[in-house]
Amino acid sequence: MSDSEKWDRLLRQALASVEEPERELNESLMKRMEERSRMKRVVKKRISAGVLVAVFALAMSITAFATKQLFSSKEVAEQIGQHVLAEAFESSDAIEINDTAASGGYSFTLHGIVSGAGLTELGDGAEQQIHPDRTYAVLSIVRQDGTPMPHTSDPEYGEEPFFVSPYVKGLKPWQVNIATMSGGYNEIVVDGVMYRLIECDGIEMFADRGVYLGISGGSSFYNSEAIAYDESTGEISVKTGFNGVSLLFDLPLDSTKADPAKAEAYLKQLLRKASKDKAADEAGPVDPAEAELANYIAELTKKVPDGTLIPESVQEVTYDEEGRINYEYDGWSVKLSVEMLFSEGQVGYSDAVQFSEDDTSSKALLFSRNGSGVITGKIIVLN
Amino acid sequence: MDIEDLGELIQLHGKAVYGFCRRLAGNKPDADDLYQETFLKAMEVRHKIDMNHNPKGFLISLAIGLRKNNRRKFAWRRRIAPITLHDEAVNAVGLCEEEATPEAAILSLELRRAVQAAADSLSNKLKIPLLMYYTAEMSVDEIASALNIPSGTVKSRLHQARSAMKKILEVEIP
Repeated sequence: MSDSEKWDRLLRQALASVEEPERELNESLMKRMEERSRMKRVVKKRISAGVLVAVFALAMSITAFATKQLFSSKEVAEQIGQHVLAEAFESSDAIEINDTAASGGYSFTLHGIVSGAGLTELGDGAEQQIHPDRTYAVLSIVRQDGTPMPHTSDPEYGEEPFFVSPYVKGLKPWQVNIATMSGGYNEIVVDGVMYRLIECDGIEMFADRGVYLGISGGSSFYNSEAIAYDESTGEISVKTGFNGVSLLFDLPLDSTKADPAKAEAYLKQLLRKASKDKAADEAGPVDPAEAELANYIAELTKKVPDGTLIPESVQEVTYDEEGRINYEYDGWSVKLSVEMLFSEGQVGYSDAVQFSEDDTSSKALLFSRNGSGVITGKIIVLN
Repeated sequence: MDIEDLGELIQLHGKAVYGFCRRLAGNKPDADDLYQETFLKAMEVRHKIDMNHNPKGFLISLAIGLRKNNRRKFAWRRRIAPITLHDEAVNAVGLCEEEATPEAAILSLELRRAVQAAADSLSNKLKIPLLMYYTAEMSVDEIASALNIPSGTVKSRLHQARSAMKKILEVEIP
């Protein structure tokens, strides 16, 4: 037997699998497959603000749940697969709210919120999956005319963007919001009801200032047309006359849990980070998960120059009545204010790149502006 | 393709897919998860599965993609549970059963572990084709088609993987 044959035999013997899936594993798998044949989808988005606008979308499946009643916060978390968080919504520190209000043809119900101790009491294991210093809230959205919200797999899903974010009285909403507070959300649509589980850095520390949960339409970022901020008084309010979704829920946080010193330190860091972002000189996130995501996005960014352009995707953007650019191609629909992409007088490519990833490919959406001010969008398939 | 067809895929290729997941994940809990996720993903994209054209390769490529995407989740788990001990226990049980077959008994426990550890230390670029070839028992052509790379590249990576393994192990072949 030759040396190479000996090695081949050794590897074959050592690496061959002797283990089989257990019968229970296969049975559970078949059951899950049957459940998923009535599949729902959940969309997860991480919101990132700053020079690099990176929207990172993942889609995964969840089991069907047939009921016409609205889910509780716990059930929504379970549907999204956040089992530890579902437990947290049952804990003594969770605040059940269940307030409903209407705006812009939609009815919004704020189900509940949990943060801080409600998460830590779940123990060390829980901390690995949910963060004790974060806040989680569940909101549902239905159409007032009774027509179902588009399913996440429907082309019209996401056409009407909602920006759901906490705001703190006295703090500028464009500076302190879910995007700047390292937030994101998971979204599912079940039986025509859209549920959104939002998360961001903990807001309990601001409990003595007055905290709101705001919902605004027309943009996937804070929309000053919908929610107003009075710089002299620090008041945040719904803007009258706005033709669309504009709503504020008061968050009944326990003011004894406020931590002014922690809040000050947090804001100092957040505002410093924002200014560093502007200077494109961010030192980089500290949290390992954040760092990994940032690295991943950086990796994707590196691939852009070698990617393959989809020629049909090269389109001049259109503008809506509010002056925002609108770009649509093959299900990718983006509405953004020009300021988010280009500084005044800037021509060439925007630094803001959006990424979308599914099971088969990663794509980047780039915008460029020429000397005549014409903005063009294009999609690059990353290799 | 419906649920019954997927059930058939589990029957036909479940063992190979599981074995691959087991080696790739390195421990049983993650392997169980990866295996289930692979078939659940297969259900979502079942329109892409051609039962007559390398379905095993398709499943394995799904497992590779999921493993890559889920690395964060697996990283979390590693921090939560001390799975190494559990893993060793499972390995020991598996190997005891295995010793019953004369051919498997040729390899000592230490050597087998050394080979597996050497395989684990390879980069994914080399490890994945190696496991596809030796663990999932796929042909070079099947691997090429599943990874969407030329057969020559697969051969070259297998060659490099074997050479790297030799270098790591530096043992006499019995």
